[in-house]
Amino acid sequence: MNIVAVTACATGIAHTYMAAEQLEKTAKTLGYRIKVETQGALGIEHRLSDDDVRNADGAIIAADIGIEDEERFHGIPVVRVPVQDAIKDALGVIGKLPRGQQA
Amino acid sequence: MQGVAEARFVCTLPTGLHARPASVLAEAAGAIRAECTLLNERTGTVANIKSVLSLIAADVRNGDACVLRARGDDADAAIPVLIRLVTIELEAYEASAAETPPTYTASVPRALRVPGVAVLEGHPVSSGIASGRVVIAGRPELRVTRETAGDANLERDAIDRAVQSVHDRLSHALAVAANGTVRDILFAHVALIRDVTLVQWLYDRVAQGASAERAVADAGAFFATQLGESGNTYLRERALDVHDLMLQLLDAIAGRDPSEAAEMAIVLDQPSVVVADTLLPRQVVSLDRQYVTALVLEQAGTTSHTVILARALGIPTLVGVANAMRLAPGTEVVVDATHGIVVPLGSSVERAFYQGEIEVAERRTRFLQRTAHAPCRTVDGRALAIGANAASAREAIDGFAAGADGVGLFRTEMLFMERPAPPSEDEQYETYARSVEAGQGKPVIIRALDVGGDKPLPYLAMPVERNPFLGYRGVRLYADHPALVRPHLRAIVRASAHGPIWLMAPMVSAVDEVQWFKAQIADVQRELEAEGIAFDPTMPIGAMIEVPAAALLADHLCAELDFFSIGTNDLSQYFMAADRDSTHVGALSSARNPAFLRLLRQTVDTVRAHGKWIGVCGEMAADVEHLPLLVALGVDEISVAPTDVALLKSHLVQLSGSACDGVLQKAITSARAADVDAVLAQEGPAAYVCPIIDADLVILDDASANKEAVVHALVSALYVTGRTDLPQVVEDGVWDREATYSTGLGHGFAIPHCKTDAVRGASLVVMKLATGVDWGSLDGAPVRLALLLATRRSDASNRHLEVFSVLARRLMHSSFREQLLAMTDANETVAFLKQELGIDA
Repeated sequence: MNIVAVTACATGIAHTYMAAEQLEKTAKTLGYRIKVETQGALGIEHRLSDDDVRNADGAIIAADIGIEDEERFHGIPVVRVPVQDAIKDALGVIGKLPRGQQA
Repeated sequence: MQGVAEARFVCTLPTGLHARPASVLAEAAGAIRAECTLLNERTGTVANIKSVLSLIAADVRNGDACVLRARGDDADAAIPVLIRLVTIELEAYEASAAETPPTYTASVPRALRVPGVAVLEGHPVSSGIASGRVVIAGRPELRVTRETAGDANLERDAIDRAVQSVHDRLSHALAVAANGTVRDILFAHVALIRDVTLVQWLYDRVAQGASAERAVADAGAFFATQLGESGNTYLRERALDVHDLMLQLLDAIAGRDPSEAAEMAIVLDQPSVVVADTLLPRQVVSLDRQYVTALVLEQAGTTSHTVILARALGIPTLVGVANAMRLAPGTEVVVDATHGIVVPLGSSVERAFYQGEIEVAERRTRFLQRTAHAPCRTVDGRALAIGANAASAREAIDGFAAGADGVGLFRTEMLFMERPAPPSEDEQYETYARSVEAGQGKPVIIRALDVGGDKPLPYLAMPVERNPFLGYRGVRLYADHPALVRPHLRAIVRASAHGPIWLMAPMVSAVDEVQWFKAQIADVQRELEAEGIAFDPTMPIGAMIEVPAAALLADHLCAELDFFSIGTNDLSQYFMAADRDSTHVGALSSARNPAFLRLLRQTVDTVRAHGKWIGVCGEMAADVEHLPLLVALGVDEISVAPTDVALLKSHLVQLSGSACDGVLQKAITSARAADVDAVLAQEGPAAYVCPIIDADLVILDDASANKEAVVHALVSALYVTGRTDLPQVVEDGVWDREATYSTGLGHGFAIPHCKTDAVRGASLVVMKLATGVDWGSLDGAPVRLALLLATRRSDASNRHLEVFSVLARRLMHSSFREQLLAMTDANETVAFLKQELGIDA
């Protein structure tokens, strides 16, 4: 399964990146591919390309604030959770995506 | 010409026509023959302008429309003079009112917000934290010892004598008062005691059959009520001044020595916190400074002379503390003027908290001491000596004890004040010799007597000048006063035998003055040699640069002199044509003016090009924000108060000289002072080389028992190492973030953070906790390791944020967490983190 994600916490110093790390780690153990864009105090890093989104089976938005370019994900399944959830229970969050094709 | 004249005006004084301006107006009006009255249209009260009490009772507030009326010979001439006074000149006397600090409500530290801790709240009006045992005090009441009146004329005479006696004593105290605040208050008291309304009121009372003492007691009650009933807090607090004066009158009538008044004295014999409903100004002044640690007043006034004095004398003070008088005498309390609270040390919670605060203060002092006692350089090796200012041998000793590299300015005029005759040559010689001996080889720069119209000496007749600040002062008057100047110079030259003394002349504006000064010194040296008295023939001779002409003539002065010291206070005033003490224009006379910086640079460059020494005394040096500018200007030394020496050195060793050059360049090319402010605020902090992590920010054995204490300890680490001067702001920032959701990320880790310009540079504090602390974490587990991430809002580079983002990611990996938890050594921890987070050495 290909997943794209965006993480964004309010202060943008720590939780944005912790959530990104946790999602990446967890997806890897599941054998999924994931690309995470972070929107934090450093600005937008690892920006998702149009191809990334087009090839994705689903998107996870782990955010406490509104994110930029949310329209990109119209057309694929989107799971929206608070940043904390992605840190605390990344497995559960990823599990919310409908299982499309196997990776 | 006999007549009646009148004019209408609106009062524009911010706090109305209060004690000081009223005194000035009454005094000026005294020279007018006509009867002068002021009608306050708002209240309908008519005041006699020649009476301070009458004016004060008229309660003229900002915005009140008033009518001035004069009736008599010079009525027509009088009105324009009075109008000019009330609309223009009285503005200059706003000083006391402007000193009122912004009051803010008490904030109880989180660690003390627990059941069982009783805290009294109030408004801090001066700073500091102090502890002591409660002593309940009160102001003495007006006691009448003789009710029965004798002959009315005799009673009247008694009043006249008492008024004269009190007036004389106050006038003398005024003449010798060294503290400006005390002087202002005495001036107001002198005006009150001469007030025609008061004296007339006393005469009237005596005519009704009262004894002199009874008349005074009644006057006290009457005027206190009048002032007390005014709607104006400021006026209500003037009642204290009247009460104080009535007490003095009673003492005079009864033949008591006021300094021995038993009920006035507050006797202290151990570190004490004095608690009272209110106190008289005189009681504050006479508090035993050895034992009084703080002052707590139930009354809420912040503008009374009592409060103003406490602040000027540096006594931590809180006002408006409800129920303070209910504290039992002898209770041990802490007066915390940082938070505006009084904390009885009832249980271990309070004691632990303040013990912690004391320890933090001690750690801060130790941190500063690391660099205080040796000459310091910037990170890239630029030297800048930090000297101390002194006005007595005691202060010179204190300065050297604090780590000063020298005494950059020894103010000699203080030895000449507060006395009826000048100090003898031997007395002066003792003082200067002791001062330079204390330095053990470090220089003491003595400024020859700097007195004149604006700094008068009681025994030195000064011409009356329209503008003494631009007049006959400093070196300009030396030639006319050989009896004073000669022994003075002899004393200094003699003292040069005891250590490196440098002698400089004040108010230099021309080469002739310097040559004359040097000739005097040469003369003195020849005299001493003939007398067989030792001195240092190589004593450096220099000049203050405070007159702009001297700055621009620096090349010629360099041919005559060995060194210079820039007196930035007076130089900026003369340069900007603005009086620092004026509420209207004071802000113009600022070191942050780009034109002034250009003047400084040109002067310093010229002096350095001629190979001479140049330092800076004056308040510009005291403000830490200016340090990058001074480093870049390349002066040899700056001289500050002894208490600032350690702080400035601590900052100097963290500055990058080349970064400072950039700050100065931006500031000096600015067009306006506001731009310089912006440069200093934004670029200044970036001139500091401040590693994001170092061993001082790693604490591996913290014993905090709860989250509040942990956060406090984390932020205190920033305060101790000088990374913030506003720890409460940082702490509030951390708690604001916690309010969103807990920063406990599970597995025993917490990552509290905040973004605030209250920190000088981005910092990472690592703290291992001895016992697990509940943090409201995601997984409910207690926290064993807390990391505080603090960044500035406005950081030029993202470097620090990158480091934090890498840290955040690493924390998601158990191997990283385990290694961090296993750390036992601060340096090892720093090395580990630098490697993991990609920070260069």
